[in-house]
Amino acid sequence: MFLEQAINGITLGGIYAIVALGYTLVFGVLGIINMAHGEIFMFGAFVGMLLVSKAGVPLPVAFLGAIAAAASMGLLLDRFALRPLRKRPGASHLASLISTIGVSILLENAAHRIFGAGNHLFETPFSDIRFQAGSVTVYLVQAAILGISLLMMAGLSLWLSRTRAGKALRATAENLETAGLLGVDTNRMITATVVIASAMGGVAGVLVGMAFNFINNRIGLSMGLKGLAIIIFGGMGSVYGAMAGGLILGLSETFVVAYGPAGYRDAIAFVTIIVVLLVRPQGLFGQAVSDGKP
Amino acid sequence: MPVEWLNPYHLQVGSFLLINVLLGVSIYITLSTGQLSLGNAGFMCIGAYTAALLSTKCGLPIPAGIALGAVLAGSAGVLVGLPSLRLSGVYLAIATLGFGEVIRAVAVNWETLTGGAVGVAAVPQMGRVLLANLADAGFAPGDAGLRPNQFIALSVFLILLAVTALVIAFFLRLDRTRVGRAYAAIRLDEKAAEAMGIPVTYYKVLAFSQGAMVSGLAGALFAHSTSYISPEDFTYHRAVEILVYAVFGGSGHLLGSVFGAAALTLLPEALRFVSDYRHMLYGLLLVLMMIYRPQGVIDPPLLRRLHRARAEEAP
Amino acid sequence: MKRKHQAIAALTCALFALVFLGARKAGPASKPKGEPVRAKIGVISIITGAGAGYGEAITNGFRLARDEVNAKGEVLIDLKVEDSTGKAEQALSAAQKLINSERVAAILGPTLSTEMKVVGPEANASGVPIMGTSTTAKGITQIGKYVFRNSLPESLAIPASIGMAVKKYNLKKVALLYGNDDVFTKSGFDTMKEVSERLRLSILTVQEFQKGQSDYRAQLTRIASLSPDGVFCSALYEEGAVILSQARKMGITVPFVGGNGFNSPKVIEIARDASEGLIVATPWFAERDDPKVKSFVAKYEKAYGKKPDQFAAQAYDALHIMANALKAAGSADREKLRDALAATKNHMGVLGKFSFDADRDVVMDPNVLIIQGGRFRPFR
Repeated sequence: MFLEQAINGITLGGIYAIVALGYTLVFGVLGIINMAHGEIFMFGAFVGMLLVSKAGVPLPVAFLGAIAAAASMGLLLDRFALRPLRKRPGASHLASLISTIGVSILLENAAHRIFGAGNHLFETPFSDIRFQAGSVTVYLVQAAILGISLLMMAGLSLWLSRTRAGKALRATAENLETAGLLGVDTNRMITATVVIASAMGGVAGVLVGMAFNFINNRIGLSMGLKGLAIIIFGGMGSVYGAMAGGLILGLSETFVVAYGPAGYRDAIAFVTIIVVLLVRPQGLFGQAVSDGKP
Repeated sequence: MPVEWLNPYHLQVGSFLLINVLLGVSIYITLSTGQLSLGNAGFMCIGAYTAALLSTKCGLPIPAGIALGAVLAGSAGVLVGLPSLRLSGVYLAIATLGFGEVIRAVAVNWETLTGGAVGVAAVPQMGRVLLANLADAGFAPGDAGLRPNQFIALSVFLILLAVTALVIAFFLRLDRTRVGRAYAAIRLDEKAAEAMGIPVTYYKVLAFSQGAMVSGLAGALFAHSTSYISPEDFTYHRAVEILVYAVFGGSGHLLGSVFGAAALTLLPEALRFVSDYRHMLYGLLLVLMMIYRPQGVIDPPLLRRLHRARAEEAP
Repeated sequence: MKRKHQAIAALTCALFALVFLGARKAGPASKPKGEPVRAKIGVISIITGAGAGYGEAITNGFRLARDEVNAKGEVLIDLKVEDSTGKAEQALSAAQKLINSERVAAILGPTLSTEMKVVGPEANASGVPIMGTSTTAKGITQIGKYVFRNSLPESLAIPASIGMAVKKYNLKKVALLYGNDDVFTKSGFDTMKEVSERLRLSILTVQEFQKGQSDYRAQLTRIASLSPDGVFCSALYEEGAVILSQARKMGITVPFVGGNGFNSPKVIEIARDASEGLIVATPWFAERDDPKVKSFVAKYEKAYGKKPDQFAAQAYDALHIMANALKAAGSADREKLRDALAATKNHMGVLGKFSFDADRDVVMDPNVLIIQGGRFRPFR
């Protein structure tokens, strides 16, 4: 049973990690916490579900559809909720937090209007492919989730460190004005960041649907809050931190259910937030910053 | 009957409005030092459960239970606030959000104390207890020309009105004292405030625990007005609702939050079609306010203009 | 300084006034004139918000029954529907409006047990009979002598389904699984545990889950590793269907016994083949061979374009029970109506034979059903 639970935990953790990567990318560049990320992820999942279960398109097309939908939501989010705040000098750093909380509430309830409150079956033949290793059953989806999350992490860190665009992005993150003076189109860089992060949310959405077979309009909030906990634990803006934090949270939630007081499963994430912020505010992989401020 | 117009329904809505006003005040106080707390639903939860359990399990008189609920929430505020002060801005907001969820998880899981998801039922309702006590003393609501349920609703409303008025008066006064000025200085520029010799940490913890205390007070009053509480009453959505009160009404002045809470309680009651889209509207409000009027509908300049306009009207 | 406070106060008062302008128009309660008994009955239901699906079925049930009653002409019922949005505070405001502004003779609803725990004491203190049609938690009618319900409580449903499942499959070791942050599923679980202990079953494990969770595999892996003879699961059908689906996929093939909330055709719709073998106890069986049931199902489908569920059926019966009580009371007087309601015995409705016990709670025999071949069938 230990092995099976470990697999459950890693699967969950892989999904958490992908969600957290989206958070950490936006935070790393913009220094803001995008509270709407979870809801964009949820919409991606719904678009994937509609394409697969209702329209019957092949899985890769569903992935592309979900990515496109999530990316365009990211574009809209930046255009209407974040850019206006950047333009205004002296806007409080809380403004973007509040504004994205607004978007998240709006999207959660919009999804409730559009899709209803219930669970929707996410049916794809791919989810049924499994291997038997001794007494343990492993589903291909579970392996795929871990693989995709590792790939994304590696790709993201390579992109950030090696490519021109990645360097421009880091320059933007370092200092918006200087980057602008050096000829980086900072506005475009920021928009690109939000769009890429959202697209990753779309991938995570489809993976969740495949792994659990069901989606509903509340997964955005619950997954989003978990993702938030993970980046605080792993270190804001740290790509490796998001990955490690995701796996650790996924495993500890699974093992609390397996061996401990299951009722506190959701609380682990929040206790982690509080403890980490108090003991090591920069998180596991984060760099110490003065004042706990970005 | 002479007081037929006194409708318990209106008083009921008024009572909830006053509780929401208290919640609006509570988030304003922490905001007045530039700190955003998303944990006020958690503090409200502490206040509500303390008051409800003390009166149902220990038979403590209601006012004592309410006071202890507020004090306990305030102490929790100190405990959370003290270490949280190493954090600022968004980090504090996230930490308090986490705190709120942990409190709710405890309320759900600590079944022997809190009853779990089933909640605490048969919490003595202020109005009914008052009526029973007065009846023992030989008073009948009919003497005042009131039906019993009119009397109950009216007494709850008046108690809440008195408490809310006191709280608002206290914090309006505080605004003009050394403490209020320190809050404002910290909000404007924490470093400068520190350089000027203001004990920033002390005032931030003070503001944080004052906010927690008022949330706890609101929670305790809520428990004794509805006579039933469950963890469902204190979710993340409640915390967001409280935030909307301050953001919409205005976080630059106490009366902004008061106005925000009042307006947003009445709106769905007045316009039924709004209640269908209530939360979507809240989300939209947060975004639009941040873009177009981050200081909220009511801000000090508006208040000054209003004041001047009225002064000019007067001869 | 003072001036601006006055301005705010004036603004708030103006809003307040605006809100209640509409509400003042309410007239006094209609009085019996001549033969038919006229009564205004309040309904508190979830019209908007997460539970609106329940509210829709319930109000449909009420409206269908009202039209039948009014067509007969002995009792004329005027329904006043208010929205609770599923929140206890809103439900209380709605109840105050119905009791004091609309002056209704009685209230049907509210939908959730949490709402009833707030509304019940108020209606009771105001002397207004109130009947829940979907409130199944413990301690509802104990609120006071004006509080009734016709919804089958878990304490009746669960012993029936567990009892029959234990007998049929000879269950000895069971696993329990429930949502611990919901009143309904929590109180269903309490009954399951009680019944299991009474039947001397060995409880291998108790697993909890929370709302909005979509991954139940950690709990199910634990349950599978203990290989129980059966799983008792207290969940709402939305979660329940997902749990069933994931459980079957993991190879847990033992019988599942669900609570009242698990009883919905939606389970079959969502979980498909995985729902086979689910056992539930329910007051409502749409395929029962009874002309009353058939005519209700036909009328409901014609009016609303879908099959009635348990909530519609319970609401439908509740309004007929109310109408009969009004007829017996001979007026819309709240006091007389309460006594007439309490005297309800052997009412034959679409749910079967129904009576109130001394505590104004439900006396009836539940149906135990099992999902077989993609539909609910009687379990024998």
